[in-house]
This record gives sequence, C-alpha cells and structure tokens, in this order.
Amino acid sequence: MKDELFTMMGEMPSMSPEFVARMQQEAERNLLRMKHWSEMVMNPREPEVGPTPRRLVYRTNKSRLWRYESPRTVRTPLLFVPNLGISRPYIFDLMPKGSFIEHMTRQGFDLFLVDWGVFGEEDNGLTVEDAVTRILPRLARKALEASGAPEMSVLGYCMGAPLSACFVTTHPEFPLKNYIDMAGPIDFAHVGLFGKWLAPEVFDVDKYVDTLGSIPAEMVKLGFKLLKPTMDLSTNLNLWWNLWNPDYVNGFNALNKWANEYLPFPGEFFRHWVKDFYQQNRLIKGELTMAGRRVDLRGIRCPVLAVGAREDNIAPPACVKPLIDVVSTRDKEYVELPGGHISLIAGRGASVHCWPKVASWLAARS
Amino acid sequence: MAENTSQQLLDMWKRQVEEGTQAWLKMMGQGGAGAPPMDPQAFWRPFMDQGMAAWSKLMTQGSAPSPDLMAQWKQFLDQWIAAWSRVLEQAMSTDAFARMMGKQVEGFLNAAGPVRKAAAQQVDASLAGLGIASRAQVVALAQHLAQVEEKIDGLEDKIDRLLGGANRTERA
Repeated sequence: MKDELFTMMGEMPSMSPEFVARMQQEAERNLLRMKHWSEMVMNPREPEVGPTPRRLVYRTNKSRLWRYESPRTVRTPLLFVPNLGISRPYIFDLMPKGSFIEHMTRQGFDLFLVDWGVFGEEDNGLTVEDAVTRILPRLARKALEASGAPEMSVLGYCMGAPLSACFVTTHPEFPLKNYIDMAGPIDFAHVGLFGKWLAPEVFDVDKYVDTLGSIPAEMVKLGFKLLKPTMDLSTNLNLWWNLWNPDYVNGFNALNKWANEYLPFPGEFFRHWVKDFYQQNRLIKGELTMAGRRVDLRGIRCPVLAVGAREDNIAPPACVKPLIDVVSTRDKEYVELPGGHISLIAGRGASVHCWPKVASWLAARS
Repeated sequence: MAENTSQQLLDMWKRQVEEGTQAWLKMMGQGGAGAPPMDPQAFWRPFMDQGMAAWSKLMTQGSAPSPDLMAQWKQFLDQWIAAWSRVLEQAMSTDAFARMMGKQVEGFLNAAGPVRKAAAQQVDASLAGLGIASRAQVVALAQHLAQVEEKIDGLEDKIDRLLGGANRTERA
C-alpha cells in the first residue's frame, strides 16, 4: 500500500516549494474560514460599536447632543450633523482604528455629534422646518455654550448637509467658522436613481404619508437595497473570501449590524423632504422659507469644503458640487474622493483619502 | 479530446449567458426617449473574454489545481457581479422602471390602507373591551409629553436669551 502511494506520487507533476507553500496557506485559510463561519452561526457575538468616549451634553425629545473626549488642541469646535432617520450615527464611530470621530478627536478637534434619535408615531407631525429651526439651533447653541468657543465649524453628512445648510443660512447670528458638505445633496436635479423614483409623476408622496403615517424602517430598507441590488451578493462573497481574517470578520460584524438597523422617517418630515427637495429642488433655487426666513445658500460666507464620492449612488458628485457655485466665499474647494456614500466616511479607504483631507482642511482654518 | 470538450463547454456557457442577457434586456425594455440604447456587449465583453481566457487555459493545461484558481474565480465573480450591477442600474434608471415602481407602490398603498385601518379598528375595539388604553391614546399621550417638553425647552431658550442680554448690558 505504502509502496503504491510512493509510486503514485512519483508520477504526479513536480511541485515547486512556492506552490506547496501557497497550497498550505490556502488550506490553513480554509480551516480558519470554517472556524469563523461556525462561530458566526453557532455563537454570534454582539459587536462593540462606538468606542470613542463621549458625554451627553443635551437632549430634547428624541434628539441628543454628544461631545467626544479629545485633547481639544484645535481652537474651533466642530458640530457634526448627520442624516435624520434612515440609519444610526454610530457608523461614524464604528470601531477602534475604523472611526471618523476617533480620527478627528485624535487630531485635537472638539467634536459634537447631533444624534437625531429614533422618531416614533408620536413624532409624525415633525417637519423639516422643525428640525432646522427648532432642534438644530438649540443643539448648536448648546454645543457652542459647552465648548466656550466664540465660533464653530459645521459638517453636514448626507441629508445632514442640506439640513445644516438650511440652518446656517436661516440663522445668520450663528457664528459659523467653516462649513463642510460631505456627500450631501444640494442640487436635487442630479440626485440619481432616488430622484427618478421619487419624481412627482410616478410617486404620490401625499398618498404614501396619508396611508402609512410614518415611513417604516422596512420601507426605508427596501428603497436602499433596491438602489444596489447586487450589494448583498458582493458583501457575502467578500465575507466568504476574507472569512479567514479575524480583523475582517470583526469589521464585517460591526458594519453588518449597522447596515441592518434602518430607522423610520416621521411622516410629515418625509412629505416635505420629498416635495421640497427631491420633487421641486427648492434648496438650490433659493425658494425655501423656514420660520419666515429665506434659505439662501449665498448667505454662506465662511470657507466651504464640499466632498463628493465617485461611486456614490445616493448623493452623486453632480448633486454635491453645485454648493461651491452658489456660496459667497472665495475660500471654497470641491474634492471628489474614491468610494461610495458610506465608504467615503467609514472604512479603510476613508481613513486614507477622506479623513486626512477633511482634518487638514479644517485644521488650517480653525 | 478532453481539451476540446472543455473548450466547447465553456463556449456554450458563454453563448448562453450572452443570449440570456440579451433576452433579459429586451424584456426589461429600452430606456426612455433620448436615452442611449443599451449595449450588453459593453458590459459583458471585457470580463467575459478575460475570465474565459484564464479559465480555458487552466482547464486545458492539465496541471494540478492551484490556490490561484480560487483567486481567479473570485475575480471572475467580482467582475460578474459588477457587470450585473451596471446592467441593473441602467435598467432601473429607465422611465419605464420608475413608472412600474410607482404603480407597485400605489397598488401596495391601495391594498394596505384599508387593511391597516380595519386592523387598527379591531385592535382598538379589543383593547377598549379589556379596559386598556388604545394605541391612539398612547400615541396622543406621547405627543402631549413631547409638547410639554418642547414648551419647557422654549422657556429655557427664552431664559437663556434674557440672561445673555442681561450679561451683555452688564458688561457694557
């Protein structure tokens, strides 16, 4: 038997040591893949997210204002305004060494995060105007008070960019030092697939809100999944491929937790958001009025940075860039970075391209 | 012999995928007026040619399977998914797709509206029978609490403004 085996091996094509090493490595990876897969299935662990220490500064109804620990070496504090509804803001502080907030605080920024919270049925009457003229000014003022600084920079991400742009233009008394739009749509004529699907001739937003009241998280999820139907397939394929790597698995678990936690929209907010922004594109046209004040983007006179993501299908670069054309400042810059809507700000690519750019631009003006 | 068979199989599969894609795109319909015509060849050709050449080589060389085979298969799948993603994106950005989605949503709302209303009425009647507060009553209470909180916040804002004004006057 033994002799037969040696005879067979002698007949096999010769294998270089390099080839054998690669085969061995692949076999080890397959074992690790099996081990990690069985752990994920049999003993799933809740990933730890939001590692940067923070303190609650203020809360009003569902919304919270968080201040992150930092050496605070940069003079001007930063107010970070993310999207309302859709997803939770811990994506910006997902995990150690994979967190935009951690990066900014390590650079010495005194960072305040607006957490809009999870709105319930009782908040269905909340409008975009309420968010811009009631909640945001209050949180911004509390951040300014807590920091003790005379001025503050504002960074709007995704929907947070148009909301914060509405806020800073309708509150000229707010001492705005710098303004950053990160993947935030401004000109909704170029907003991509969502713009097409929410067009008034195909989508009756009044009927939608009147029937459902609020927009359930499941509907929000459906809309975003439809935007990139192959996303789950490629995510799972990449997971299988990298399943041997414990760092990848940890990152996947955290990101997967976030990616499956969709949030509902208050009904009236959704109605106004779709009508005024998506269907009538009133922001860039200067046709919006909030609390009796006109939203005029020309009112932004401080330094402005707009960041678009090349592969962004939620806020394509073409709808982000027009901010630069309308603001009244000479110190303005538009950068288009690699990545999609999320990978612009979260993940390895973001830590290489986006975070250093935003931090250096802001530090030079703070 | 084996070489020819594997090549024939690969060619056949390649033809099938291309024909299937053509048929699928025809079914989905072309873009709206003014939209450029779809060209499935543009999606498939680059990765098909590259992937097939690599696979043909591997399948016909007769060498022992290598771990690189997995890497190439992964690369092939990535390109395949990316190609499908582009095809789907193009199909979904047509006016026809937007109209179809709008109709689906309207159909859903037409069906969901009365069902939701009837279910809510039934639940409210059951809860009332048991002497328990209905959902609408709980929501109304929560709204009331939010309004009270808003009023307190408003008062706090006013006090802050007054104090700020007083401090400025004092400093002046």
